[in-house]
Amino acid sequence: MTLFWPVLLIAFASLLAAFVRLPGQWKALWAVFPGAAFAWVVLSWPAVVGEGELMASIAWFEQLGATVDLRLDAYGGLMAGLVTGVGTLIIVYAAGYMEGQPGGSRLISMLLIFMAAMLGIVIADNLVLLFVFWELTSITSYLLVGFNHEKEDARKKALQALLVTGTGGLALLAGMVLLALEAGSWQISEILQRGDLVTASPYLPGIIVLILLGAFTKSAQFPFHFWLPNAMAAPTPVSAFLHSATMVKAGVFILGRFSPIFNGSEWWHGPVVVAGLVTLLVGAILGLFQTDLKKILAYTTLAVLGMLTMLIGFGSDLALKSMLVFLIGHALYKAALFMVAGGIDHGTGTRDVWKLGGLSAVMPFTMVAGALAAFSKAGFPPFLGFIGKEYVYKTGTSLDTLAPIFTGAMLLGNMLIFALALKVGWYPFWSKGKEAMLEGHPHEGGWMMWLPPLVLAVLGLVFGFIPVWTGDTLVLPALSEITGKSMHEHLALWHGITLPLILSLVTFVGGVLFYRAREFFWRKHDRVESSPKVEHAYDRLLVGMVKFAKRQTQAIQGGSLSRYMFIVVGATALLLLWKFVRFDGWPELTWEGRLAPIPVIACIWTMVGAIVAAVAKRRLIALLAMGVVGLGITVLFVNFGAPDLAITQLLVDGLTVVLLLLVIYRLPPIKAEANRWIIRADAALSVFFGMLIAALTLSAMQLHVVERVGETLAQMSYAEAYGRNVVNVILVDFRALDTFGEIIVLAIAAIGVTALLAASKERSSDED
Amino acid sequence: MSDALLLFLPLVVPAAAAVLGLVLRTCKGPQAIVGVLGSAGLLVVGLMLVARTDAVGVIATQSGLWPAPFGISLVADRLAAAMVAVAGLVALAGSIYAWRDLADDKLGPQFVPLMQFLMLGVQGSFLTGDLFNLYVWFEVMLVASFVLLTLGNQRQQLEGALKYVVLNILASSLFLIGAGLIYAKLGTLNMADVAVRLAHPEQTDLVRTSGVLLIAAFGLKAGLFPLFFWLPSSYHTPRPVVSAIFAGLLTKVGVYALMRTSTLTFAAKAPVLLELIYVIALLTMVCGVLGAAAHFDMRRILSFHIVSQIGYIILGLAMMTPIAIAGSIFYTLHHIVLKTNLFFLSGVVNHIRGTNDLARLGGLAKAFPGIATLFFISAFSLAGIPPLSGFWAKMAIVLAGMDLRAWGAVGIALGTGVLTLFSMTKIWAEVFWKSAPEDANTTDNRSGLWPMLIPCVAFVGITIGLGIWGGHVFAFAERAAEQLLNPREYIEAVLGPDAITGEVPGAGRVRP
Amino acid sequence: MNMLIAFTVGVLFATGVFCLLRRCLMRLIIGLVLLGQAANLLVFSAGGVKTGVPSLIPEGSMTPPPGAADPLPQALVLTAIVIGFGLTVFAITLIHRARATSGNDDVDAFNETDRL
Repeated sequence: MTLFWPVLLIAFASLLAAFVRLPGQWKALWAVFPGAAFAWVVLSWPAVVGEGELMASIAWFEQLGATVDLRLDAYGGLMAGLVTGVGTLIIVYAAGYMEGQPGGSRLISMLLIFMAAMLGIVIADNLVLLFVFWELTSITSYLLVGFNHEKEDARKKALQALLVTGTGGLALLAGMVLLALEAGSWQISEILQRGDLVTASPYLPGIIVLILLGAFTKSAQFPFHFWLPNAMAAPTPVSAFLHSATMVKAGVFILGRFSPIFNGSEWWHGPVVVAGLVTLLVGAILGLFQTDLKKILAYTTLAVLGMLTMLIGFGSDLALKSMLVFLIGHALYKAALFMVAGGIDHGTGTRDVWKLGGLSAVMPFTMVAGALAAFSKAGFPPFLGFIGKEYVYKTGTSLDTLAPIFTGAMLLGNMLIFALALKVGWYPFWSKGKEAMLEGHPHEGGWMMWLPPLVLAVLGLVFGFIPVWTGDTLVLPALSEITGKSMHEHLALWHGITLPLILSLVTFVGGVLFYRAREFFWRKHDRVESSPKVEHAYDRLLVGMVKFAKRQTQAIQGGSLSRYMFIVVGATALLLLWKFVRFDGWPELTWEGRLAPIPVIACIWTMVGAIVAAVAKRRLIALLAMGVVGLGITVLFVNFGAPDLAITQLLVDGLTVVLLLLVIYRLPPIKAEANRWIIRADAALSVFFGMLIAALTLSAMQLHVVERVGETLAQMSYAEAYGRNVVNVILVDFRALDTFGEIIVLAIAAIGVTALLAASKERSSDED
Repeated sequence: MSDALLLFLPLVVPAAAAVLGLVLRTCKGPQAIVGVLGSAGLLVVGLMLVARTDAVGVIATQSGLWPAPFGISLVADRLAAAMVAVAGLVALAGSIYAWRDLADDKLGPQFVPLMQFLMLGVQGSFLTGDLFNLYVWFEVMLVASFVLLTLGNQRQQLEGALKYVVLNILASSLFLIGAGLIYAKLGTLNMADVAVRLAHPEQTDLVRTSGVLLIAAFGLKAGLFPLFFWLPSSYHTPRPVVSAIFAGLLTKVGVYALMRTSTLTFAAKAPVLLELIYVIALLTMVCGVLGAAAHFDMRRILSFHIVSQIGYIILGLAMMTPIAIAGSIFYTLHHIVLKTNLFFLSGVVNHIRGTNDLARLGGLAKAFPGIATLFFISAFSLAGIPPLSGFWAKMAIVLAGMDLRAWGAVGIALGTGVLTLFSMTKIWAEVFWKSAPEDANTTDNRSGLWPMLIPCVAFVGITIGLGIWGGHVFAFAERAAEQLLNPREYIEAVLGPDAITGEVPGAGRVRP
Repeated sequence: MNMLIAFTVGVLFATGVFCLLRRCLMRLIIGLVLLGQAANLLVFSAGGVKTGVPSLIPEGSMTPPPGAADPLPQALVLTAIVIGFGLTVFAITLIHRARATSGNDDVDAFNETDRL
């Protein structure tokens, strides 16, 4: 039962933070809540490692597959620890960062609700529940990236992130539904047991592709990578949390979670490895040209995400182990570096590398944090980052296929990451100070801004220093979880003079060279920014979609009533035609019924009148023709045994004609339409429609007699309802409810007419 | 309370309230109170109906005590009861929301009686068991809507109303013909009796014709492709409270009529019509959402969304499996509340800033964070973001589609979801996030917001509630779907237990 | 005879629809009226036009004479006529007012509500 409360607690804290405004630095107190959740993860850890998992469950929307199943296993728990641990520090940092600016409470509240959603993703054991949290992270990310929403740039980029991850999310939903249907269960832990059912299914490629789309969009894999650098429009605490340690890891997380099932399928390995590889290279290379600290960090995040994805794609135990070590290391140093960048921004007012330098004197603590984190990222021993890199190279060199290519890519990527790490964590402090910046009195932010990154960076050092502990406590349990086997090989710092070590040395050298050449690449920044990119495809797609929508809407919903009528009548006619042709066939043309003179004349009279009414050019003639039609129909009614009907028809027809006579000269004269083709088309459609209706009527009249309610009513009319005029009796007794409605219609029409006319009187009196 | 009374009250209450409202037309206060009380009464009766039908099944009574099928039956199954209740809820919300406009004389003394007459038509449509009676109630509802649309006499209203009136009169004629043809073929107008007589094998042909005509007529009313044009032309023109009630309620009456007639008549006998509806539903979804993407005025965008969401509901109907129909019903209930609320909120925005044009709005998140939150929740529920109600509704349809291996439909449904998200974020970004443009009217009208906000808050609460505790409502929808797919209960309630001699085919579709 | 009536109904529908497709306001009105009458005639004829004997129960008898017309479609059409009248009157007034406020004679000019 205790599994529920961390998420609820943080969500509750978020709600509180939205309404309760703590002053200034006291906002850091909100960190107590995620801190408590972190403590819970830590305290539950022994149980998790020992027994394997903790579970809880409540029913929710079961018909749609949703149960609130929660499961804390080593893998999810590791992520949970990262989310809550880094999260606690982020809240403290955010309190410091936003001090003196409006919106601090709003930011913290939104960070907390995001945290709750992210935590939900990693402990969810039900596919639908996972999706619920997944989408919630997209939405909260939208709100957070668009935090400074008055800027159009922020709005646009928030939308971009939302649309890309949202579309991927829907693909993920489709994939997960298919997965559940094929595996016969919505519970992830159960599905993991039923991997064979899934791999044997004919829908396996579809499932994999859809799930990959979801994971790739969230974790910014190529070609869906472009939203991540753009999301840097968010305030730095947001970038530090979402776009480094947590949200973007969600995709990688589920790739790892599902890998036991899909590991082995060719549909899985190929795409995942390729996507990871390309993303690694794209991120690292493009990062070279960036001159904004946050952008540099964003691109290296891309590169690392690519690396992690690639490792999952390889799928071997060693690869997965490397992935986990790298994951932890990256979370620690990336969040720290973002916070350092934010501190620099806060203290100097700029993040532009051209303007930064020599800050070590002014910002000592931040400098230490930056250095430590950068060294971990660059892969200096004994940092955790170094261990990660070693294992990555070990994986690369022990691959069955194409080992040189992959290893080479990793080498290049790591060299660039090395250089980029130094650019953020070393360069601003130790390079020669720039005049303009130093004049602006740069200063260090309060302890809330340098302590969190320092803690994280130091952890990166400490974990690296005690690899056996790190491995046994953190990595191996999670690894056992995703490989399904028991893993025992300890993590080590020193493996002897091996190929990976040599590669690390090469990385070092290459990295330094790239770092040295930094200004060369920085100068090419503008040219690179304007070169064609995938993002342009997104932009064009969006613009094109809106244009298409406008054109389509204009075409269909252009405003012309006559066109609407044409479409409606046309569609109905086509439907009727379809029915006749496909199903029932045409009615027979037989001369049934005797031809008496009166009805024949009445029919002809009616038809002539109708045609005259339709084509007459003078209003009066059209009106009189309408009256004629009414008369003809009256005669038909009389002839076929409906006297009451005839009377009503006569009265109503008369009233209508009189009314129109009164109004007629206030109505415009009849104008012929200029376009002959439209008239011909309309005439053709009308005739076509009329013929279909005529056929319909004929087939209705040819039906054989069944037992009709009307006949029984005629029998009942006198005996039970005491009336001799059956039609009347029906109207006032049998179907009195109809008549009630009919009268109300008249009443409402009367109200409507008086309202319209009263308004016209007002208007004309105003004009007078 | 006897079943008969329970079935007649939804007709009597609004009729009485309307008459009373007419009598009191010179006293604004009492008239408004009559409106609120009448609507509240409707809601209460509706809830009692829901409780009764959920417990008992289907209840029916005969008007004038003439035995069915010779008189007119009033029937309530779970679906009808739920619709009655939700309509009452919307009426109540509308009556409260309209308080300000009534006090400011922007709606005129005809509003209250007309609203009640409209509700009369709506409730009659839900509860009647007779096809021609359905026509009559449709006409009552239609004429009332004509007049409500034109209250205020603005030029845009008259223009929009013209298209609305002409197209809907055409639909009414088609309905009339369809009903007449059913009588000609089957000799009865009582819907239960129609189902019984259809059970005999020879009676299929003209049913298809009537089916086609009824689909055309109800489809126009519901807003299906290619018959929906009148909706975006006119729904954004009248006063906001009228827009809201129309948006939430009127199209759903068409949907209800389609659900009722299809499951009782042609679903079993002419399944090809279901495939027709299936295609129409998909086209409707796409055209609607493209229209929303194209426009730049709050109410016009929302009007196109009505069309698009109706597509989802009808898609569920066309799939005709238990989960699909349950999904359609849940979607209908959720959508009525949500759409009405979105229009209410756009009315609030209009009240504050005097316009709904996105280009001239802005900065409302900062100025009115509460209203912004209300809108945010509603908008993202429409887009289908979990855990709000819109997500569960869409999920049901997606699940039903996956079950049937209808990949195309699922793909279109999800794609439409993305576009819906796009257009709702457009409104959010333009109205709430961006700062107000310089030439805009910046003096916010904050007076008289409370009566408008109370229904909004309540409805957002319902949306959230449906999202988190909606499992129970969905279970109810499943029970209602069960009744729809097996007309036996309905028929026996109306015609008596020994009415069915032959086999009455269930309306459901067999899964592949 | 049946064919002739069916044909008449068809002609009425055709002319009604033709008028409704026109852009001139006066023709819209004519179209609405013709359409209503066409629908009524159709329902009436579908109900059976075989006999001329009205459904009236003569003195001394409990039931109408054999071969009398089916009274139910007649009642339906009667209701429909009255409802149609209400609708028509409203529509005429609306058209009149729409024209007065916008000054346009052409229905297609009423497109402001759809303009992008």
